[in-house]
Amino acid sequence: MISSSSRIIGAVEIGTGKTVALAGEITRGRSLNIIGVGVAPSRGVMKGEVVDYKAACEAAHQALEMAEKRAGARLEEVWLAQTGGHLDAFYNEASANVKSADNTVTAMDISTVCALAKEKELPAGRTRIHEIRRPFRLDGRAVPDPEHLTGHRLEVGYWIVHGHEGKVSDNIHVVGGYHLEVRELVLSSLASGSLLTSAEERAHGVLVLDIGKGITDYVLYRDGSVAATGTLAVGGDHLTNDIAIGLRITTAQAETLKLRHGRATVQTRDKSEKVWLNGEMSFGDRQVSKLALETIGSARVWELLEVVRKKLGAKFAPEHCGAGVVLTGGTSRLPGIDEAAARVFGLPARRGEAPGWVKDELQNPMFSTVLGVFQFGLRNAHDHVVPVRPKGGLLNSLGRIFA
Amino acid sequence: MSHSATDSMPRGRSWRNIRQEVTPHALSSRGRKRRHLNWLKSAALGALVLAAAWGVHWAAVTWSDRAALAKVVHSPKLAEPVLITDGVLPQKWVKDALALPASARLMSLDLAALRARLQAHGQVQVAVLTRSFPDTLVATLRERTPVARLQVQDGAGTPQQLLVARDGTVYEGVNYDQDMITTLPWLAGITLRRQGAGYAPISGMDAVARLLATAQTEAPWLYRDWIIVSLARLASHGELMVRTQDVGGHRMEEIVFSRKQDYYKQLARLDFILEQSRDRVDRLPVRVDLTLDGQATVLFDGEVQARLPAAPARTFFNPQPPAVQPKARRDF
Repeated sequence: MISSSSRIIGAVEIGTGKTVALAGEITRGRSLNIIGVGVAPSRGVMKGEVVDYKAACEAAHQALEMAEKRAGARLEEVWLAQTGGHLDAFYNEASANVKSADNTVTAMDISTVCALAKEKELPAGRTRIHEIRRPFRLDGRAVPDPEHLTGHRLEVGYWIVHGHEGKVSDNIHVVGGYHLEVRELVLSSLASGSLLTSAEERAHGVLVLDIGKGITDYVLYRDGSVAATGTLAVGGDHLTNDIAIGLRITTAQAETLKLRHGRATVQTRDKSEKVWLNGEMSFGDRQVSKLALETIGSARVWELLEVVRKKLGAKFAPEHCGAGVVLTGGTSRLPGIDEAAARVFGLPARRGEAPGWVKDELQNPMFSTVLGVFQFGLRNAHDHVVPVRPKGGLLNSLGRIFA
Repeated sequence: MSHSATDSMPRGRSWRNIRQEVTPHALSSRGRKRRHLNWLKSAALGALVLAAAWGVHWAAVTWSDRAALAKVVHSPKLAEPVLITDGVLPQKWVKDALALPASARLMSLDLAALRARLQAHGQVQVAVLTRSFPDTLVATLRERTPVARLQVQDGAGTPQQLLVARDGTVYEGVNYDQDMITTLPWLAGITLRRQGAGYAPISGMDAVARLLATAQTEAPWLYRDWIIVSLARLASHGELMVRTQDVGGHRMEEIVFSRKQDYYKQLARLDFILEQSRDRVDRLPVRVDLTLDGQATVLFDGEVQARLPAAPARTFFNPQPPAVQPKARRDF
């Protein structure tokens, strides 16, 4: 039963491979109860970007409808996960002198320095997705909240995530086509990172890699805050393509082969070891070299991880990433990928596991992002970022009856 | 002031500035269905809100009405009742008949009982009582008109004059002009029966009333001499006997009318007989029986009367149809 002080919110991820929608009942802006799940194979989406509006709508709306039906309630709004190769980010910081005579930091000082740090203009056609603040520094020392502290110089930096306005619009309009409003847009990597890592891990430093079918999202946490985010237009599909090309088989066969025998590291030593292509040993089936398969997978995964490390550049340092690497997304189920990640980043790597409050049926990595969208949204709502309007009163109660 | 670590509501060119509404064509079939459902629900919600508003309005109006009623119920004092009548009953009679207690309040009055109390008097044919807020009771009466009178004796043997209305109701007249009452003929040949505190209606009064009304309007010079109307033979023979007084030498004692014939013609015949007898006969009629159709039996006095002086100019009846009657001699 839906209580009167709750809202029914949908978390949606329009991925390259699947569109996932969850219906969550959020009570008093804090407590989350997942009441409906909808999954539909994506169409019209490439590398996280909508290329066929109608096809993408069909899949997304199917998932949304399924989630609503299972929830037995109508969604009021949607929090949408955003990914895509068009996303980019930069870091911008600003500093300001503390204005008061006694050098006590006031709210005005904080507001001024924050505004300065966010002031940077974006290139034409770009739109801001997130402005993620790093800790304040007061005379060089990091402080979570400088107000009422004494100092001379206040500094702050923002990690500003932006994307192509048209592509972001396309994503939003897919949801709009279902006559729903997108209330929050959450970067997929932030969503996954928020779900799969604890505050302690983020404080120690952790790298989260969400390797999907067409896109790889990553987020690097340092000192409890986001140090970098990024997106690579590379995912499990590329691995499939490489296998198809390398072994001269169809994409579908390559996908099957990847799921059955694919690995991110080379384990096979015997060059003569073969695996059946279709696994049916029927007419037309043939054997392929397992070593070749593993070599291709390893090379591609290694390359992918290297690219991520390269993109992180100086922001990534193993000594500042004590909690290691967390892998999630569909491709993270590839055997040996944690081992590969550990080698590439020089850190312990593991597959991410959803927290205990997540039901067993949602423990699959494909739900990490949408669950993370909820978690991230709720956390920010708690920080007054996501406006959670009170929904009391007679009219709202009546409205809920008809919702 | 709170500055969260992740501001998802940036200013300037933010994703929040992106227009989210899509054109109707961009809605999928599921989206359209959802939108229509939203419209229906909005309409239902609107209707519900309107209904609630109407309910609140109704409650407010009812509440204010109740407040007004309560105010009336608790009004300090009932004003004097107001009388509207088509007759002669005075306001004091109504006040006495209603006998409202001093502590009575307008809303506490039993109008049905009060109405019955007023209508218990024979003079009142119909009584309508209405509350005029905040403190006045209005009595609207339709009264009976007397057509005859009769005399009875009460238990102590005291003679008492009663009036009889057209419908046969017998009642004590209140506040009538005494001169008018004296012009009413007496009734005879009837048996009064008690009914409750009064008397049962007299049957056959309609025939009497029609005769008297015709005589009063068409032949007042005859009517004014009528003293008694007897109903003794009305039921058995359909005859009304009128006894007259001898005024100015008209020695007329009894006239017999038939209920079955037109009173107008009977009166005309009577007038003709009286006229002829005065002009041509040296004896005066003492009894005229008009019950014979088109004819009359006249009983004359045995004595020869002196020639009467010429009667003053007056209208008179012609027994012939009006078409052959000279106009100058008719004014009715």
